[in-house]
Amino acid sequence: MLTTRAKRLRRSSFSLSFLLFPFLLSAQVRHTVSGTVRHTVSGTVRDQATGETLIGASVIFLGHSHAAGLSNAYGFYSINAVVGQYEMVVSFTGYRNDTIGVNLGRDTVIPVNLAPGSPQLQEVVVTANRNTNNVSRPLMGVQKLSISEIKDVPVLFGEKDILKTIQLLPGVQSGGDGSSGFYVRGGSIDQNLILLDEATVYNPSHLLGFFSTFNSDAIKDVTLYKGAIPAEFGGRLASVLDVRMNDGNIKDYVVSGGLGLISSRLNIEGPIEKDDGSFIVSARRTYADLFLKLSRDTNTNRSSLYFYDINAKANYKLGDKDHIFLSGYFGKDELGLGNTFGLDYGNSTATFRWNHILNSRLFSNTSLIYSKYNYDVTINSGKNDIGITSFIKDYHFKEDMEYYANASNKLDFGIDVIHHTTSPGVITASETSSFNPVSLQNKYSLESAAYISHDLSLSDKINVNYGLRANLFTVLGPGNFYTYDSSGNTIDTATYSSGQVVKNYFNLEPRFSMSIKVAATSSIKLAYTRTTQNLHLLSNSTSANPTDVWIPSSNNVKPEIADQVSVGYFRNFKDNQYEFSTEVYYRDMQNQIDYKNGAQLIANENVESELIFGKGRSYGVEVFAKKKVGRLTGWVSYTLSRTERQFNGVNSDNWYPANQDRTHNLSVVGIYKLNKKWTLSGDFVYYTGNAVTWPSGKYEVNGQIAFLYTQRNGSRMPPYNRLDVGATLQGKKTKKFDSNWNFSVYNLYGRENPYSISFQQDPGDPTKTQAVQYALFRWVPSVTYNFKF
Amino acid sequence: MKRSILIVVFAASSFFSCKKIVTLKLNNVPAAIVIQGEITDAPGPYTVTINQPVDFYASNTFPPISGAAVTISDNLGFTESLIELSPGVYITSLLQGVPGTTYSLSVTAQNVNYTAVSTMPMPVALDSISFQSNSGFGQTQITAIANFQDPAGIKNYYQFVEYLGGVQLTKDLFVFDDRLSDGRYINYTLFNDSSYLQYGDKLRVDMYCIDSSVYNYFFQLAQSSGAGAFNTTASPANPTSNISNGAYGYFSAHTISSQTELVP
Repeated sequence: MLTTRAKRLRRSSFSLSFLLFPFLLSAQVRHTVSGTVRHTVSGTVRDQATGETLIGASVIFLGHSHAAGLSNAYGFYSINAVVGQYEMVVSFTGYRNDTIGVNLGRDTVIPVNLAPGSPQLQEVVVTANRNTNNVSRPLMGVQKLSISEIKDVPVLFGEKDILKTIQLLPGVQSGGDGSSGFYVRGGSIDQNLILLDEATVYNPSHLLGFFSTFNSDAIKDVTLYKGAIPAEFGGRLASVLDVRMNDGNIKDYVVSGGLGLISSRLNIEGPIEKDDGSFIVSARRTYADLFLKLSRDTNTNRSSLYFYDINAKANYKLGDKDHIFLSGYFGKDELGLGNTFGLDYGNSTATFRWNHILNSRLFSNTSLIYSKYNYDVTINSGKNDIGITSFIKDYHFKEDMEYYANASNKLDFGIDVIHHTTSPGVITASETSSFNPVSLQNKYSLESAAYISHDLSLSDKINVNYGLRANLFTVLGPGNFYTYDSSGNTIDTATYSSGQVVKNYFNLEPRFSMSIKVAATSSIKLAYTRTTQNLHLLSNSTSANPTDVWIPSSNNVKPEIADQVSVGYFRNFKDNQYEFSTEVYYRDMQNQIDYKNGAQLIANENVESELIFGKGRSYGVEVFAKKKVGRLTGWVSYTLSRTERQFNGVNSDNWYPANQDRTHNLSVVGIYKLNKKWTLSGDFVYYTGNAVTWPSGKYEVNGQIAFLYTQRNGSRMPPYNRLDVGATLQGKKTKKFDSNWNFSVYNLYGRENPYSISFQQDPGDPTKTQAVQYALFRWVPSVTYNFKF
Repeated sequence: MKRSILIVVFAASSFFSCKKIVTLKLNNVPAAIVIQGEITDAPGPYTVTINQPVDFYASNTFPPISGAAVTISDNLGFTESLIELSPGVYITSLLQGVPGTTYSLSVTAQNVNYTAVSTMPMPVALDSISFQSNSGFGQTQITAIANFQDPAGIKNYYQFVEYLGGVQLTKDLFVFDDRLSDGRYINYTLFNDSSYLQYGDKLRVDMYCIDSSVYNYFFQLAQSSGAGAFNTTASPANPTSNISNGAYGYFSAHTISSQTELVP
């Protein structure tokens, strides 16, 4: 029986949804008029060994394809079916299936514990399980990676890295050698929403991009949405990267870690109270800079170049229906050049979550989230002592409800409110400095959204997900808000007091996706998604810099809007051992932001007067084939695409290719289990060079050579290609101790992939000019020792 | 949980930045005109040069444009036609630049008229040049610092040109504005990307006070011409010229203040 409180809650949330969304009615009617008594099986899917909840595990009643579902972000599943005897099969990649007999006579709670299993074992175990979620579910343009899939892929410096690995997926383009930045389906780097336990990570890179902020020891699950983005998510145009942290081993204390050339990691986890609560603390530090300390040169040995980060999480079950989680991240990069220059920057996030099971079919999660990114620059040159600081800070409240109405209907709805504070720049200067202290006014805004989405199974063949996200962005005072003329001069200044509404932007974002099964293991999918974005990153270099500043929409800057349509064909082969998919997409983008030639982006109160606004479009076809089980696993990913921008006043108002426009993009990843001890891996990457602006000619001014440009991004960097190989040697595995050695070589054949090409006067012959190509990495071998006890 | 263990780390890595000269297929330069004119508060004659751009891989000799009609006038009613001293080089004979005066340039070449306006700012004196030596990563680099008082309450734009042993250094471009420094005593470091200054060298620094459009021109030029691996902007573009009708180049009325110093 429901408690009165839960009943009331259920009724009130329903009446709200009922008013807004009539389709809920149909879901309810279907359920009640069916005339057959139905009951629900629910519970949490966990790893048998560690007690970690498993996200996205498939739960089905054998022979009843309607009675099926996936575990949610907290491992919770709920299946509703008519009274009867069933065999419930639960499966998850990297685990052995579990088959549980269910005698459904009343609502039942069944906790599921899956045993980790290697793919070969799984191959044997896979029998009747038709694991065709990728085919039958309507969501498209979704890529899910588990840490077990990431761990064997060779990467730079041997540090397994989710951001480097997702760059090997279709529709995702790398920001270049050693970059954590990525582009999704023609979007910019700042158009990806990167979430760590629901907290926004504003700068996902360490050491200027060579490492990502994500310590894979602390990560449970990574999902990238690039096509049909669920209505639950909003705030960025191009994609959502949803990263979930481990909860910590609930059974036993475990210490694990890794030692590498550049960095080391340590991870400690264990139960707070066995089976009821656990904690995990994961930390990393790089120490390449320790070699600098060996130098006798004072300027060199006082230089620093390192980062560290800490992930921590604790969770505790309060009875059968409530579960609380507290998680946090803190990272810091320190770059310094003697006593003359210093830059430190980092993200910090904190998330408090409360899971509440209102009843076996209604799951609620309430989150309170804090997120901050800041940087701090210090310059000491002669009499100049200057400090520059900037930050962006969020307070975020999120309420998500999931209602498992019946086997054909599931509803997700909730609200999402974020308060943003951005401090674009504060300059402190010493008395003798050449600069004045400046403090740019903070900017305040409130981003509120409500969403609902409905998973609907129309028939055995047709599944639909449709939803709506209503988003209100409120620009708040206090502050001065300027109006500019076309040449950027201030023509009006309006002053607002604290909390006063300066401007409201309301946007409705419809989301729709649908799958139509055309055979047992193949389907056609369609999707349409509208997304909007109200925080914009101002950057004037090819790759993102730690000192780039986020600005909110304002009276001058309108929300960016994107509409995307996509069509795909999905097919599994050979008992679902092979997955194949191809998707075609077209995305249209409005209110894109660029800046005027010579824009002053640093410490500029009138930075909005330096911006120009235009359009974007991208389209392409992606092909993806993956082998999931067997000794050889891996994937092939190919994207053919085009990405363009149009700004009045740029390139004679004509469309031009965006920097990241790359016609061809190919990735091949292979992992081969040679024997019990050795696992070999390799990946190959090829892509068309970036679109760049090269000079067509030159002239002389003031005794110096100036270059003449005729076409924006009219030239191409040479194509990029690279092969990485790796090998993992598994040490003797006992119950108490497990270790392995990981060897890898990045860029095996040492291709000099151009990082940049610049143009200059020939130092040897001043009557000539020359083009100079810079390449970063050739043959980067690395060794890492990983242990666990 | 088990007892801790000793761990042996072996690691080896070699990564380095590789730099090489490459030959690229570049577009040909379109037909265009480059005009460069300067008027200073130093005695004339002042020069206007008119020539054409060339392809990137051509040698740095720029075809002059002869026979143009060039005049400079000021806001006090004075007008002078320049005479062509050598092909493409036009000079004044009477004009004397005065701070605070607005000058207009008119060039008619190949039947097209180009005009530009520039106002000579009030002068600011360059007090001195000092030097700073930085060592690090096995190198010692000497950089020059220009020291001067920025006048408070007005916008000032500066340009610096270095001469070493009488020869202009052309690799770097220095412009500075007082947007964040109004009224301060300025120590402006002339950072160069190589250690070119040696003990005993004779360095002359000319500091110009330029107007805002000329500052914008050189600021944009500096942004677009950055050499080096990490110094390239996403989208270099032609700087906005203060000359009309699509001409490249600039017309600048500026003051000059010089200091010469031996590198200690």
